[in-house]
Amino acid sequence: MPFAGIDIGSTMTKVVVLDEEEKILASHIGPTGAEHRHLALKVMDETIKKAGLSFDALSFVVATGYGRINVPFADKQITEITCHARGIRFLFPAARTIIDIGGQDSKGIKLDADGKVANFVMNDKCAAGTGRFLEVISETLGINLTDMGDLALSADGFVQISNMCTVFAEHEVTSRLAEGAGVAEIVAGLHEAIASRVVNMTRHLGIEKDVVVTGGGAKNKGLVKAIEGKVGFPVFTPPEPFITGALGAALVGKDFYDRGIRPAKERKKEGVTFFS
Amino acid sequence: MEQAQQAKTTAVKGTDTAREVRALVKNIYRSAHEAKANGQKVAYMMVASQYDEILRAMDVVPLPTENYAGLCAAKRDMDRFLLKAEADGYSQVLCSYARIGLGFDSLRKDLGHIPEGSPDGGMPVPDMMLGSSAVCDPRFKWYQAASRYLEVPTYGIDVVAPPPQDDLNAVRDYYIQYQRDQLKGLIGFLEAQTGKKMDPDRLWEAIRLGDKAWQLWYDIDRLRVAIPCPMPSQDHFSIMVAGHYYSGTQIAVDFYQKLYDEVKYKVDHKIGVIPDEKHRILYGGGLPPWHTLWIFNYFESFGAVFVIENVYRGYDPVEVPSHVKDPVDFLAWRAFLRFTRYHEKARARSGNPIVEKLLDMIADYKIDGVVFHACRSCRATTIGQTHMKSELGKYSDLPMMQLVSDMVDLRDYSEAQWKAQIGAFIEALEARGK
Repeated sequence: MPFAGIDIGSTMTKVVVLDEEEKILASHIGPTGAEHRHLALKVMDETIKKAGLSFDALSFVVATGYGRINVPFADKQITEITCHARGIRFLFPAARTIIDIGGQDSKGIKLDADGKVANFVMNDKCAAGTGRFLEVISETLGINLTDMGDLALSADGFVQISNMCTVFAEHEVTSRLAEGAGVAEIVAGLHEAIASRVVNMTRHLGIEKDVVVTGGGAKNKGLVKAIEGKVGFPVFTPPEPFITGALGAALVGKDFYDRGIRPAKERKKEGVTFFS
Repeated sequence: MEQAQQAKTTAVKGTDTAREVRALVKNIYRSAHEAKANGQKVAYMMVASQYDEILRAMDVVPLPTENYAGLCAAKRDMDRFLLKAEADGYSQVLCSYARIGLGFDSLRKDLGHIPEGSPDGGMPVPDMMLGSSAVCDPRFKWYQAASRYLEVPTYGIDVVAPPPQDDLNAVRDYYIQYQRDQLKGLIGFLEAQTGKKMDPDRLWEAIRLGDKAWQLWYDIDRLRVAIPCPMPSQDHFSIMVAGHYYSGTQIAVDFYQKLYDEVKYKVDHKIGVIPDEKHRILYGGGLPPWHTLWIFNYFESFGAVFVIENVYRGYDPVEVPSHVKDPVDFLAWRAFLRFTRYHEKARARSGNPIVEKLLDMIADYKIDGVVFHACRSCRATTIGQTHMKSELGKYSDLPMMQLVSDMVDLRDYSEAQWKAQIGAFIEALEARGK
């Protein structure tokens, strides 16, 4: 009796398939992107194949993420806030605060003692505090995005980056380079700026232990360390931060199923359309 | 957790009486044009300035510039005015109401006539401008800036309230005396502009009508404690026109009486805004998103109804002591009592009068969740909103959400982000077992 969750984020599409014992049978990550929308179905197919299942065997499919709205093969659409909360709580039963740093947005989520979403906050309508911010600057610096975290950790101090507007920050980085600042110190400064932004945002909710950082940002060790510096204590990260939303979606699907809720309509195995 | 968008949400919705507000709004600008044609004095004015009845008593026709900005936004015809003000050097962080007003005045001056196609015929050149410090600082400076485009006299009135920690018995006399002096200064200015003395009997009559209208408005809101709620916030944002732009007139009294009767009928017959009211929401504060009022229908599509608001009906009826025999004294007393309504409660608990007011609303209206609207360019309602939300969270564990945009500037609004937030908020409400 397997359950699937699909998280269609701004840059990556993630799928997790669980069995009825809540054991992960398979997971898969693929790109989203404007030209890759049809790949959502492909990522789904790949995951099912990995799990050794057929599409029809799935008991419940929940879609989440910003592309969740029009997923023809989903039985329910649930926001990523609820799904991240469910997924993180599953992995970290003592979690009370979640910081999710995604490609296009960041979120703070507060959980109550039962693991339900008590409150949440989302980033402003700009790239500051998101993966996109680091991505743009990494291109400016000619550094792989995946190397940014380690580079920040190798820095001897950090250069203050005051502009959080991505375009202005890009200019500021160029100016700092021209002044002779070290690349590692600049990168560390960028991580400090992002950490400051997302932690301040989450403080609106009141930060309580345990704190879990998830989303693509959690794969960046430099960013996680900067966040720990801001909150003042160690934080946790999932073993695979990309898939916590999809994991949560699969768990939510199982929750529905356990409550006797069954798919209301026939699933259409079609490509995802983002906008109706 | 499950968010089920209801298929149809148009079954009941708002009141019939609220639909008559559109005619009231049109009449504001038509009356101003007619008054100009007849040689009657017209004044730019601002809501909550505590001088409404004085204008009515002195036959000065009010021309509410803030309302005009909201009207432009509701008609989605604000960009040309915003851009004109910004081209004149006004920052995008300045109050967008003021930017629309200044842009309109600037454009009208450049063109030599009212900009073509302006909503409701546009605003005529006033004979005077009556600024106010009530609510926020741009309202005190806006008309001063508008003097760049208009060669008409400006008068600014200070409207004051003590901080909540003050002992009201110790400061009352001082505040009332100061407010009285401010109002008398305004009356002197109006007498000079109109060439006639203010008639105290006419002022008493305007006060009587103003208080009657606001009492009825309060009574209507009290009816909204009913489950299901008989009147949504969308109506509230319309019907405030009578209380703020017709205060001191029989028109406002008749309007609210009619609305009261309709809402009472709905309560008696258990007719709600939507057939299946699942969540009762408090609009916790901030000016409404005039550009996107349909967003409230979007909430309703999930069974969530906004049942009461912390905006516009800014004060409950108050009882001015019977020894007050002068109408200007009465207005000063009334202002003081209105503004200090929650001070004693605040001193006893949270220290914040608005938090106390919200807590009362949460209890009285059986609220399930609170939504705030942070308007980027409205310092008065947005600065401190996050703090207030946090303070409220110390006394209430309800789900709360802060949407961010602006009251009229669409450039600060993101539909995708709002829908994402609203979806999560609805799921949080559902998760609480409602």
